[in-house]
Amino acid sequence: MAAVAPVPSGRLLACDGNEAAALAVALARVDMVAVYPITPQSSLVEYLAKFIADGRLQAELVDAEGEHSVLSVLQGAALAGARTFTATSGPGLAFMFEPYLRTPGLRLPIVMSIVTRDTLTPQCVWGGHQDAMSVREAGWVQMYCETVQEVLDTTIIAYRVAEQRDVMLPVNVCHDGNYLSYGTARIELPEQDAVDRFLGAPDVNWHAALDPDRPMAVDPLTGGPGGAGPATFVRYRRGQCAGMHRALDAIRDAHREWGRLTGRNHAPLIECYRMEDADFAIVTLGSMTGAAKDAVDEARAAHRRVGLVKVKTFRPFPATDVADALRKLRAFGVVDRSVDFAWNCGPLYREVVTALQGGTRSPTSRSFIGGLAGADLTVEHFQDVIETVGQMRDVAGPRDTVWLDAQE
Amino acid sequence: MPAYNTIVFHADRCDGCGKCMLACAQAKSASDSPQRARLEVLADDAGRFELAMCRQCADPECVPSCPAAALAKNAATGVIEWDHGKCIDCLLCTVGCSYAGIALDEAAGHVVKCDQCGGDPACVRACKPGALEYLTMARIYEEVGSLEDLFVQGLAGCQGCNTELVMRHTLRRVGPDTVVAAPPGCVPGMGAVGYNGLTGTKVPVFHPLLTNTAPMLAGLKRFYKRKGRQVTALALAGDGGAADVGFQSLSGAAERGEEILFLVIDNEGYMNTGMQRSSCTPYGAWTSTTPVGRESHGKSQDAKNLPLIMVEHRCAYVATASTAFMADFYLKLDRALQASKTGFAYLHVYSPCTTGWRFPSKKNIEVARKAVESNFVLLWEYTPTAGLRLTRSVDDPAPLSEYLEVLGKYRHLTPEQVAHLQRHIAENVATIKRHAVAEAPVSPASTPPGISSVRALQGPAASQA
Repeated sequence: MAAVAPVPSGRLLACDGNEAAALAVALARVDMVAVYPITPQSSLVEYLAKFIADGRLQAELVDAEGEHSVLSVLQGAALAGARTFTATSGPGLAFMFEPYLRTPGLRLPIVMSIVTRDTLTPQCVWGGHQDAMSVREAGWVQMYCETVQEVLDTTIIAYRVAEQRDVMLPVNVCHDGNYLSYGTARIELPEQDAVDRFLGAPDVNWHAALDPDRPMAVDPLTGGPGGAGPATFVRYRRGQCAGMHRALDAIRDAHREWGRLTGRNHAPLIECYRMEDADFAIVTLGSMTGAAKDAVDEARAAHRRVGLVKVKTFRPFPATDVADALRKLRAFGVVDRSVDFAWNCGPLYREVVTALQGGTRSPTSRSFIGGLAGADLTVEHFQDVIETVGQMRDVAGPRDTVWLDAQE
Repeated sequence: MPAYNTIVFHADRCDGCGKCMLACAQAKSASDSPQRARLEVLADDAGRFELAMCRQCADPECVPSCPAAALAKNAATGVIEWDHGKCIDCLLCTVGCSYAGIALDEAAGHVVKCDQCGGDPACVRACKPGALEYLTMARIYEEVGSLEDLFVQGLAGCQGCNTELVMRHTLRRVGPDTVVAAPPGCVPGMGAVGYNGLTGTKVPVFHPLLTNTAPMLAGLKRFYKRKGRQVTALALAGDGGAADVGFQSLSGAAERGEEILFLVIDNEGYMNTGMQRSSCTPYGAWTSTTPVGRESHGKSQDAKNLPLIMVEHRCAYVATASTAFMADFYLKLDRALQASKTGFAYLHVYSPCTTGWRFPSKKNIEVARKAVESNFVLLWEYTPTAGLRLTRSVDDPAPLSEYLEVLGKYRHLTPEQVAHLQRHIAENVATIKRHAVAEAPVSPASTPPGISSVRALQGPAASQA
């Protein structure tokens, strides 16, 4: 058989975030991809299907009949030892929820892109973080990307984190529907050799396998009111939490090593942007960060002591890093692209405020919600955020959430 | 000592019609004279019937009686074979036999005896009341008896549980190079997937979600195939998960032709969780969610015909089976296993539930048999090339009342409800017959149910045993 050119590597390319993710998956040499279409992730798996159809990616493609089966297929393949990938959005993630909940407990290092989308209802096919935020307590590692380049790099990094033996957890690489899924940018493709060295061979089922050569019962029943059952359950749960906690270091180490190999140094947990001597800050997540940085630059040019903290790793939550970055400020605002219904604020805001508890002092803060349902978060929005935060007094207590696109 | 297939005579079913003798004479002597048959049905003074026929004895008297060594027992088939070339026509063998199993055929001028028609006895085919039956259980004894039981001892099924029987027989046959997926239900409930660090199965076993058994096995199987490894992906599922909440993923895997052996143990409801209704629960049945009270009288809808729906997926193999007909079950299991190497194989086994159906545990096989004999359950198989065919005749069924009266879950039925069930059974029979006519090949090579299929299977079965 004639040699088929693999996917491009080691050069520049202009592509959107979905294609960048697909290229990363191909460079990671996955064994199996299971797919089901849903906006705005569809083109991502279409790219992968085409790579496989063209022989450029040597992997098994399963066109499942729904997202529930997509993830189930990958669970079976992973228990047989396969490196696996899929992607989903919004309602697809909701439909996948049952096997999604189970994947971290099985400690299967599956990588899945969430091309983020607002959840129904109101009916909406546009971007927003509500889907990924709705599954934030399920036990997956979740990283949010700012740029197309970061989508590509993070998707590769995700496999290294997931398969690290003291982590062994599934990873969501979240990139914003519309803005990153379809936004085209110039990216640098890593060399295939560098990716191979970075990831090594798949190391997926050493701990739990469905393999006649190593017969075992995977995930037998535990629990019950007495005997060893409850303690067994607790041992598994605590182990999962420990793996999640170790993921913080694993993510840091993987980003450092990736930077050494490629020269691209993305902030692994949080990025502090112009935070030296800042009195105020904006906290961001995902692709909105670009516009927010522009607004910060403008404010700095006007001699206002404003900085920005971008949260990249949302699960596990880098509480210490976040608290250290924000504790000395006079005030900060957190901009969420989703809603925490219970607290009437943004979910990231709630996390950040929680991270600051127990410290010597907590700066005053406010939750901003914007960019829902595909709305653009512009420089002007962040100028407003900076203005509002700058006027907040140093008093504790709840403050009303600011809805950036509200028509009052 | 080896076991052999044999022709058994049920005197209570015989009506003395003599068609067996006619069929034998036609098959073996090209004659329409029953006198030329190699068996004879005789009535005694009380009107009971007896059978004069070769028993193919394990320690035959005829063989040492023969001074010319013309009779010998075939070690492979168990048939006592007569060699015309050696026979000196002394008739001493006819004196030696206590069963009148070998006799002089005056027209032929020598002795004749039954040779079981090479495994497809004409007399059995001709016997409509089922008084003559060709028992092929010997194969199970020979090929499966020595295989290892791959479940641990002491699974905690209910007393008399049929599901445990199905599981153990299935996994013995399928063998150790297997991954078992047992979704929530009675199979894991009795301990097959293990508890608190212990396993109930000697092969890799997984307790998938109720909803994702088929795709989970599909991913596993595809990866092993890609790696060049032969692993059987076996689902031991219940009817609820397969027909209800897991139906989408089952349908998807079947449509994609995933190479899985998917075995559904149908006990007509969610028995493990306390006997709730499933879409496979029959009309009228009491369950804990279709209770009997002033306003309702059991389930008010008919059962979903899941195996027939699987036929519409054009699976590589689909069959129904019953534990009361183990020889038939084993044949189908073999075919399903073979089919699962190239496509989706679906086997639907009816399994009466002593606890949930409310009948004495010792009657489980009897209930399973009566379900089939009354046409409440139909036994058939399907392949895309051969089409659908009944593997047991649906003509002349036993009265439905004989089945219903054993089961507490039908105790409340009104005559109208019984009539509804009768109509539903008639519709089922008509539907299956229509499928059988429509889908079976028109070729005369199509053979009746019986031994021809056994021979076809002996190759792969023997090589795996």
